[in-house]
Amino acid sequence: MKHSVNRPPTPDAAEDQGKEPTLQEIINIKLIESGEKERLMELLRERLIDCGWKDEMKALCRAHVKKKGRNNVTVDDLVHLITPKGRASVPDSVKAELLQRIRTFLMSAAL
Amino acid sequence: MSGPNEDNNTQLSSHIFGDLLDSIIVDVASECHRIAKLGLDRNLEEEEEEMRLSAQARARVADPSNSSETNTKYVVDIFGQTHPSVATEIFECMNCGRSIAAGRFAPHLEKCMGKVIPISSYHISICLYLSIMIDSYYDREFCAIP
Repeated sequence: MKHSVNRPPTPDAAEDQGKEPTLQEIINIKLIESGEKERLMELLRERLIDCGWKDEMKALCRAHVKKKGRNNVTVDDLVHLITPKGRASVPDSVKAELLQRIRTFLMSAAL
Repeated sequence: MSGPNEDNNTQLSSHIFGDLLDSIIVDVASECHRIAKLGLDRNLEEEEEEMRLSAQARARVADPSNSSETNTKYVVDIFGQTHPSVATEIFECMNCGRSIAAGRFAPHLEKCMGKVIPISSYHISICLYLSIMIDSYYDREFCAIP
């Protein structure tokens, strides 16, 4: 009886530490091994520079550094600062292009 | 009508895109952090200020009456070591020949090299060496885990 009271909760798929890799892990490995992840990163980086997104993020960071002082800013601070705006301000066309590339990859990897 | 596989693909694609974007966000934040810490975001009008501070730093080093107790610009780190506020080793800029204090070197080089002076492979190796030194200075000073 005590056994069932103390039994740990059934781990869900995300926390599964067992031998079976998750689908996401498999895909990630395929992405990296094929070099596609690198190519996608470079493409996204290039698009985000071209559309001024990177400049916008850098301006946010500069303003924050100016306000808080150079010595009081950590990388974490800056990540937390620009993540919401960064995620929200990716142009639709850029997002669409990347999603299309990714979908194509997923289909070609027969997943 | 999209089947379950299509929905999976869409969800997966979004997730992968999110991962890529987050990585780039971290890269941008790191870049900005580095620029801020190394003082590379100064504009040209401040070069005069740097020259003045450079001369000051040199004077401080040369002054024999300087002691770490009286010099309030020296800060003690968590290991009890003192670091001058301006790293005081002097380098001669291989580009323009000026003597520059190490702590002022990164911003100086950034602007100095931008003036397009012919570079020999010797210069390139020195520049590479210095970038490595600057990067390790950045890592040591601002990225070391306390």
